[in-house]
Amino acid sequence: MSLAEQQESPRNEKLIEVEDLQLYFPIGKKGLFGGSEMFVKAVDSVSFDINRGETLGLVGESGSGKTTVGRALLRAYRPTGGEATFHTGDGPVNLITLEGKNLQKFRRHMQMIFQDPYASLNPRMTVRDIIAEPLEANNIEGLSKEQIDERVRETAALCKLNLEHLRRFPHAFSGGQRQRICIARALVGRPEFVVCDESVAALDVSIQAEIINLLQDLQKELNITFLFIAHDLSVVAHISDRVAVMYVGKIVEIGPTEEIFYRPRHPYTRALLSAVPRPDPDAEFEPERLTGEIPNPANLPQGCRFNTRCPMVTERCRMEEPDLRSFGEGHNVACHYAEQIVERFKA
Amino acid sequence: MMMTAETILSFENLDVSFKTDEGMIKVLDGVSFKLEKGRTLGLVGESGSGKSVSTRCAVQLNARNIRIGAGSRIVLTEQDGTQTDVLSLKPNSRKIRDIRGGEIGMIFQEPMASFSPVYTIGNQMVEAIRLHRDASKKQARELAIEMLRKVGISSPEQRIDQYPGELSGGMRQRAMIALALSTNPNVLIADEPTTALDVTIQAQVLDLMRSLQQELEMSIIFITHDLGVVSQVAHDIAVMYLGKVVEYGSTKEVLKNPQHPYTQGLLKALPNVDHLEDRLSPVGGDIPSPLERPTGCPFHTRCPQAISGLCASSMPAPTQLTDKHEVSCHLLTQQEAAS
Repeated sequence: MSLAEQQESPRNEKLIEVEDLQLYFPIGKKGLFGGSEMFVKAVDSVSFDINRGETLGLVGESGSGKTTVGRALLRAYRPTGGEATFHTGDGPVNLITLEGKNLQKFRRHMQMIFQDPYASLNPRMTVRDIIAEPLEANNIEGLSKEQIDERVRETAALCKLNLEHLRRFPHAFSGGQRQRICIARALVGRPEFVVCDESVAALDVSIQAEIINLLQDLQKELNITFLFIAHDLSVVAHISDRVAVMYVGKIVEIGPTEEIFYRPRHPYTRALLSAVPRPDPDAEFEPERLTGEIPNPANLPQGCRFNTRCPMVTERCRMEEPDLRSFGEGHNVACHYAEQIVERFKA
Repeated sequence: MMMTAETILSFENLDVSFKTDEGMIKVLDGVSFKLEKGRTLGLVGESGSGKSVSTRCAVQLNARNIRIGAGSRIVLTEQDGTQTDVLSLKPNSRKIRDIRGGEIGMIFQEPMASFSPVYTIGNQMVEAIRLHRDASKKQARELAIEMLRKVGISSPEQRIDQYPGELSGGMRQRAMIALALSTNPNVLIADEPTTALDVTIQAQVLDLMRSLQQELEMSIIFITHDLGVVSQVAHDIAVMYLGKVVEYGSTKEVLKNPQHPYTQGLLKALPNVDHLEDRLSPVGGDIPSPLERPTGCPFHTRCPQAISGLCASSMPAPTQLTDKHEVSCHLLTQQEAAS
């Protein structure tokens, strides 16, 4: 791709830049007389960019901090350190320092789609009211009632909901339809950035495919940027342009989807990928054995945080924490031995 | 019926409804399958397909409003060779209580919900062992420690005195397996045992179940909605949809050569890591509500190949394709009639 093409392509325009994002939760003090304060380092210096119109997949085991990253960007939590910049049409906005009225106004640029469509819809509101609520709350866009109704109908149609459904209550709908209502609610304010936190995990396989296709169509139509958080690697591979792998609060590998799935360079990524069983009885299923326990994020081991489970751990890993290093094409890996791993994977 | 190997647990023509305020809800409609000795049967299907209800019938763990049809039988062949129709037993009889947790062990999806949080792991294991085996407290405790070691829990002598909340998710599921196996069951019913676990832990638990099966010659019914998992653990598969077994056979036959449009659709709907660019092909439509159960073949409302006038009115009979492959679909009965 030539430089000129790169600049034209909207995919290379950064929407969100995150640098050294930190979120430490205090868990009380050590000792009886207020010694040093202890923290759970849920997100520990995480840096990444998300380009406009792309999907960044975020994977990792439970407790790796992927949900916390998503919520910190939406300012559901207040990050304890680092930088996060959101490039809107009117110039960059610092997400960390936004407060009060400004934050409230800014929230319409960012939305979230949750995991469980049975728990995230108010059973006492009609579908129309649920979808319209983000517009009516504070009515930041200053729309009239007719305009709101118009927008609700338009969004419902985009999400393939029948217009006669708008008068009904959520209990009348199946899981897939409910998730479409959740998507319509998230998109009705035309956000630029949407965090999907395990948005298809609770759905049956036959419905899941439909929602993934819908999300991809909506992304194209409305030019939305997704942060797609999930533990199901094949779903993430399918929907993401780039993927970041998290392990106990840190990104250990990030890069284009094909790079991560076909040429992984971190032993943790390899172990994760090898552990996904394929629906083919002839396929070899030889998951890499990870022994040892996931470290406690309040009490991290010295050196690389994967060293307690890594199959190729050395003395260096126990002393020195590896930095993210670039291996070209936006592929960054935090492992001292990333060079050797691709060799091993080929063999 | 197909398959001639020694049958341990045989589900025969299971008709099950639940009596509710909205009326009778039919959840199983003539379900038949067999579990053979030393093998794993995978029960696959989406929510509401009746996978859990059918296996819970075998230990009589369903809610009180259940109504089981007169022609239904679940025959258990015990270790000493006697055959019992489990459904004919009274729900609080001595016999069913021996079978439940004794002859038939169970593992459930959420290990946190299956352990009591206020007793230690050891306490709960010793109780189960002494209920089903003739053992002193001390012997039972030793056995429990041995089982915990067998499922790969390090330093079991200490772990046994911990509370379930002190263990990680993977550990709890291992402890659950140890608990189920400590009574030396002949049959293990595993209801989505790995769904709540991370993939790395899931791989460990699947490994563990496989090696324990070989060691203890157990027969396993493995309930899951994950076709990847089932292809790795099961010898045979029964695909269920809305209370019907639509396709049944050896894992290889069913996954490599699926004949029912529903099985085909499920396999096509899965995202495939080897084909990232392809658009997914969902099975159209929604799973019907159990209150509005379709007439005829239950899948006809979503089937891309439904034959008008036939599929909506009559339920297809099972077609025997090979001695290890059985499919209930009109497309096949019609093909057979034509040839």
